[in-house]
Amino acid sequence: MATPVLDIEALLVRVARGDEQAFARLYDLVAPRVYGLVRRVLRDPSHAEEVAQEVLVEVWRRAPQYDPERGTPTAWIFTIAHRRAVDRARSEQAAADRTLRIGIQAIDTPYDTVADEVATRLERRQVRSCLDGLTELQRQAVTLAYFQGNTYPQVAEMLGAPLPTIKSRMRDGLARLRDCLTTGAAA
Amino acid sequence: MRPDVHSLVGAYVLDAVDDLERVAFERHLRECEDCRAEVGELRETAARLADAAWSVPPPSMRANVLREIGTTRQEPAAAVRPVRPQRRLHLVAAAAVVVAAVGAGAAVYVLQDQRVRDERAVAEAARASEARVRAILAAPDLQVREQPLTSGGRVTVASSKLTGAGVIMLAASSPPGDGRVYQLWTIRDDDPTSAGALGEDQAATVRIVEGLPASNAVGVTIETAPGATSPTMPLDALVPL
Repeated sequence: MATPVLDIEALLVRVARGDEQAFARLYDLVAPRVYGLVRRVLRDPSHAEEVAQEVLVEVWRRAPQYDPERGTPTAWIFTIAHRRAVDRARSEQAAADRTLRIGIQAIDTPYDTVADEVATRLERRQVRSCLDGLTELQRQAVTLAYFQGNTYPQVAEMLGAPLPTIKSRMRDGLARLRDCLTTGAAA
Repeated sequence: MRPDVHSLVGAYVLDAVDDLERVAFERHLRECEDCRAEVGELRETAARLADAAWSVPPPSMRANVLREIGTTRQEPAAAVRPVRPQRRLHLVAAAAVVVAAVGAGAAVYVLQDQRVRDERAVAEAARASEARVRAILAAPDLQVREQPLTSGGRVTVASSKLTGAGVIMLAASSPPGDGRVYQLWTIRDDDPTSAGALGEDQAATVRIVEGLPASNAVGVTIETAPGATSPTMPLDALVPL
């Protein structure tokens, strides 16, 4: 079962007041997902540990700024986590290095393998079946960006699709995922 | 309302945009309530994907994090509205990424945008003043404008009166060829001044232009190498400021 949102929200409120015990509990609830996400984007476990640690400390530091009216605590936390992971992935490598790596990735790792790997490793049945409900291009556009930290031009290149198409598939793919997840239609 | 900017909403939520696009999109968000709502909803969706990416963290991580928060001060909640400080953080973060990446080749994103990988532009970006870029892109009055090039590709101009400078990022689809080069111009009261020409095999560049806010426009032309003293018409792109 998904972690009850209210628990995390209540904990975050206490964390915002500087409650370290509440933070330790919040850590136990979200750290595996934060670490898992960061690791999937960064690939390298030691970098992933370092960045996940930074993310969790940032959650502590910025907890007083969390505003429930602007979204759920998990969305807030994973927005921070994903951004940090992607920023690290992009700033870390020298340009040539990165270009080379992207080139190799595009050749050696067919996108469907990546998408499959992502899909089979998904823990949550609902998310998986909702992802299955997307068109092939929507699913690849969303997962290549989210789980691998690719920019949309990189995704376009990997999939051999025009930029506007990829932008649209990211947007309507997420929208369809949202509808599926909220109605629980595919659960 | 700029539909071209708004079409980035999915890519933005997935963090699949480059730094300038991120800055432009966040400015767009400020003026568009519907867009903020859409971003909010799509973020909840993206977070569910994270939900699925479960992995056991190294055991040492817990102790490290708990130790670190013991000595880390929390940032106070924003007094007026939380929107502004957070946006500032984002802007600074975006600028920091550019700066961090300038050493490592920030221009790459712009280049990849056009599927061009121009080592010279990367080297040029690396020479750009990191502190200067940070100051310009983090300026609260930053204005970002973009125009397509007639020859294919685009030019992005980020300008800030407060810092008295701007950044021009050119990303053409390909070098002009036939012994010709791209050249940048700042135009003030119909009077063009060269902001430098690119090399013959060069399709992209990042330039800091001091005093750019005093100009009325930025122009791009295609000239015979190594560049001209006055722009040859028609312009390949004109970005009014």
